[in-house]
Amino acid sequence: MAQVSLLIGFTLILLGLYGALTNRDILRMIVSFTIADAGVNVVLVSVGYMAHRTAPILDSAVPAGQAAARIIDPVPQVLVLTAIVIGLGVTALMLAYAYRLFRLRGSLDISQFMDLKW
Amino acid sequence: MVSSILILAIGLGTAFGLGLLNRRRAVLALGLTLGALGLMAAMAVGWLIVLAQGAAPVEIYTAGAEPPFAINLRMGLMEAGAITLITLTGLLAVLALRTALTRMGRGSMAVVLVLIMALSGLVMTRDVFNLFVFLELMAISTGGLALLSKDIRAIAAGFKYLIISQLVTILLLVGIIFTYHATGSLNIDDIPETAMGFSGLGLALFLILIAVVLELKPFPANGWALDVYTAAHPGFSAVFSAASGTAMLVVADKLVKAAGPDWFAMFTLLGLISFIGANIVALRQDNDRRLLGYSSVGQLGLLLAVIGQQDVLGEGYLYVAGGLVLSHAVAKAGLFWMSIMVKARGLSDWAAIRVRPPLVIAFATFLAMLTGLPPFPGFYAKWELAQVLATTDRLPILAAILIGTLIEAVYLFRWFGMAMKRETDTPLGPKQIDCMVVLITLAAAFGLGALWGDLSENGNLFATVPMLAALFFLALEPMPAKLKNGLAIMALVYWFAAHAGVYDPMRLIFLLVMILGGAVILLASFNEDGRRVGFYPPAMLMYAGLALLLEAQSTFEFFAAWEVMTLGSYFLILRGKQSEPHALSYMIFSLGGAFVLLSGFALAADGVTPFPLSALSLVPEQVAPWVFALLAVGFMTKTASVGVHIWLPGAHAEAETDVSPMVSGILLKAGLYGLVVLLLAMGRQSLHGVDLVNVLAWIGAISAFVGAVLAVFQEDAKRLLAYSSISQMGYALFGLALMNHLGWLLAVMFVINHYVYKSMLFLAVGGVYKRTHTKLMYKMGGLITLMPFTFVSVLVGIIAMSGVPPLSGFGGRWIFYNAILETDLRLPLVLIFMSGPVGFLYLFRLIHTIFLGQLKDENHQIKEAPIWLLVPQMIFVAFLIGFAIVPGLVLQRVDRFLGTVFGDQPLIWHGRAVESAFGNWNPVAIMVVIVVIFVTLFGILIAKNHDAVKVKQFNIVFSAERPYRPETTHFAWNFFAPYRRAMGFMEMPLVTRFWGGVSEALSGTAEFTRKLYSGNGQTYAVQVILFVVTVYLIALGGVA
Repeated sequence: MAQVSLLIGFTLILLGLYGALTNRDILRMIVSFTIADAGVNVVLVSVGYMAHRTAPILDSAVPAGQAAARIIDPVPQVLVLTAIVIGLGVTALMLAYAYRLFRLRGSLDISQFMDLKW
Repeated sequence: MVSSILILAIGLGTAFGLGLLNRRRAVLALGLTLGALGLMAAMAVGWLIVLAQGAAPVEIYTAGAEPPFAINLRMGLMEAGAITLITLTGLLAVLALRTALTRMGRGSMAVVLVLIMALSGLVMTRDVFNLFVFLELMAISTGGLALLSKDIRAIAAGFKYLIISQLVTILLLVGIIFTYHATGSLNIDDIPETAMGFSGLGLALFLILIAVVLELKPFPANGWALDVYTAAHPGFSAVFSAASGTAMLVVADKLVKAAGPDWFAMFTLLGLISFIGANIVALRQDNDRRLLGYSSVGQLGLLLAVIGQQDVLGEGYLYVAGGLVLSHAVAKAGLFWMSIMVKARGLSDWAAIRVRPPLVIAFATFLAMLTGLPPFPGFYAKWELAQVLATTDRLPILAAILIGTLIEAVYLFRWFGMAMKRETDTPLGPKQIDCMVVLITLAAAFGLGALWGDLSENGNLFATVPMLAALFFLALEPMPAKLKNGLAIMALVYWFAAHAGVYDPMRLIFLLVMILGGAVILLASFNEDGRRVGFYPPAMLMYAGLALLLEAQSTFEFFAAWEVMTLGSYFLILRGKQSEPHALSYMIFSLGGAFVLLSGFALAADGVTPFPLSALSLVPEQVAPWVFALLAVGFMTKTASVGVHIWLPGAHAEAETDVSPMVSGILLKAGLYGLVVLLLAMGRQSLHGVDLVNVLAWIGAISAFVGAVLAVFQEDAKRLLAYSSISQMGYALFGLALMNHLGWLLAVMFVINHYVYKSMLFLAVGGVYKRTHTKLMYKMGGLITLMPFTFVSVLVGIIAMSGVPPLSGFGGRWIFYNAILETDLRLPLVLIFMSGPVGFLYLFRLIHTIFLGQLKDENHQIKEAPIWLLVPQMIFVAFLIGFAIVPGLVLQRVDRFLGTVFGDQPLIWHGRAVESAFGNWNPVAIMVVIVVIFVTLFGILIAKNHDAVKVKQFNIVFSAERPYRPETTHFAWNFFAPYRRAMGFMEMPLVTRFWGGVSEALSGTAEFTRKLYSGNGQTYAVQVILFVVTVYLIALGGVA
């Protein structure tokens, strides 16, 4: 199961990258990057996944004494949460940029913005 | 000390707090931002002081748990230094950005605070995931701050930056999670040393490390960063280059330390590629900010390479890396901040700064700092690095670093030359705060230089009297030139008087020529009125270098003095009207020569510091010839031996009237002094059976001959003198290379004579130039009656120089003929012999074309040269005649000293006469005979004067037409046409063509390579991915 989700995660990353590098439309690029981000998050979760274990919540179902043997590793899940938040921030900033770029040229084609070079 | 986590808390807290302010209170918000940054900086400085005094690094635990269960931060010396740099850069950047920040409002200030906080966090954190968070904060705030610029292109640049940071994020996160999977911890200290290779952890670490490397904008995957540099507000670019760069370097350092030495090679290689590549591409850059961007990329590459060399740098690692980081950061930030005031973006638009001399000083300082010149931290660091790399047999790395530095120097000093010599239509937009920011940075540059010197085990340049004196003249700039000149002369005379008694005769001769001789030439500078801003600091810097050169006991002191001298003389030469390209080529050849010296010294020292110059004799046999060859090449660059001579004619000819004699009469002797030191210590060396000293003799002979031939064909009087210097230095080199008593005596004679007559002739020709406003000899003529004193000095000068009796030049020849009779170098001997008569040809022209013949119509009104130009000339005339009669005064002491070196005494002194195995020389008798002959002939000529027939100058008419170029009909134009037909092939600019080819090849590579930077964000992303894949494949290949 973990392998499958890992595979899905990497597939998403590669799909996202492919999309970001082949689409000239800036919005499509941004969407592609969010797909890749999602892929990264899936990879993070699946690496932290341990078979036949339960969620890392200490309550009556999982007494603290048995926790180490029964819950999955909570760290990757925390990391994913943080990564999602940060990904949101970056995506928002990129969208803001897309808006400014569109206002600038009336176009969202990345190849329209090549004034700076060499 | 307060907990260093407060540095982060204050930044973050104030950033949030700003949101509570009234939107319109922008000034208050700016004040709060500055206050917060000031507080953060104060804490960092406090920590730096405590830790620098030897306190142990402090760990800061968060969330009440120890790692790996919670994030921990570390404050050590490196961290404190980096955060001090980051926060102070932030503080000054807010000042520089004040207008943009108040325009954009409190939000933008909060973003600055978040950026500085994130960078500080990056430096301190020991947790890889925390690292990722700070990195993202950095990316987001960078993305935000790129928009501060009014340049609309910045929007596209910021977007390209975000695309790349998305890629970095992906690499980093995947790397982090697999590292965690393999080690069960997110703490950097829990990462085990891992080899590169196919292992899961190996790949994970590769991803993390390459992500960090990408943030350092490695060439060629860095087009996005360059666009940010070009378009962003320079106030922010300074942070992007200095602060972000430093933070990422610290991150790279701590990660690679954890991953283990297996990864060092990768860092070194990537760093060197980036350093050299970025610098080459920068050669074709004409936008100032983009140029600074390339230079930043290059410097970060250099530092990446240094991080990769920490295994051999050992304890000196922090000193070297710190020196280079600080030099880069301070200089780059200062330059970016200066570019706020320069309103147009071309390199030559920096000419605008000339109206503010302090800004010119700042510009020069920052460039010197970036190039690793003394007295700045990068210089000490470069020296240390070279020592270590040479000791550990990593010479290719050293060579790569030096080549990269040289290329960087090319475009940086070309830029400086443009700023000093060209004109711009766009005036400076100086604001007081911007000036203040730049001047604070300037002060920091000098402060750091003093600190690094203080930390150096080789001695502090700021603690030497000549250096302080040179700096003192910087403070004297507002004074009138005449006062400064008087002080300068007094300083030189004082230094001479204080040391004349202690030096051995050999050094005394050089002291006499360089310091007292310098004072005599400075008499000519009394001719200048006004303040003459920009003359005395470089002149005194050059003399400081010369004084320190003679003082030097260790290789470090020698090299430091050498670089100081080079720097001073470069600024001095650049003052000439047409000297922009010539000063540049002087600087490049000098720096190239200096780097060769550096390698030679490093190779010789084998890790011993300080390494005494006298210990050069103890260098082990297997490296000695190499050391000898490197040092000799370095010194010959200064004496302009053939092959590396092409800088000389322009540099000497285009310099100002009183500068030409300084750089020709005095500065060239530094190279000879180096050769003397070298030959005294190392003697004969042979490499693969070739006697290197004989090679020197050959080079000397060829230089003497070629220099003379080239001088013959010059129309420009100063160029003629310049070429003749090549020839004269060739003689001296040949004399030294004879490696016998008389040869050395000959060289000493040349040191003195060349100084005297070359200074004299340059001053005389300079005087003529002042009056006729031309240096072309065929435009002069008949000046004998109008400028009689100048005529006398030229006459005496050429008699002395040509080596005919009775003046001291003859003494030189006499010793010379005795010297060559003792050796068996027949072929170079013939060459040397022939260059004598060739010398007559060009010397004759100085008298014939300038002073004899008919006066030109436009020259009828001219007067004798200014009195202050004549004073030193007359002193020289008196000296030459005196020296001709009693050469023993000086020579006898040197002769005795050489006797102790070579253990023989081939000359026997009888009162005023000298006797050798082949004959005797009685100066007084010769003088009498010559005077009698001269007076007789002169009388006959006067008596027959009435027979002379006058002709007009342009009395040749071609088919009744006025010739297209009238000078072609002038008798003195192309005077030696027959000789040119015979020997003109020697004029073929083979050497010039060779160096021109080198420069064109580099420039072509640059033009070709920079097409990589297509400007398309997607292309950049593809480049980054290809870069990562390529590096991985190469790394794997390296492992396999």
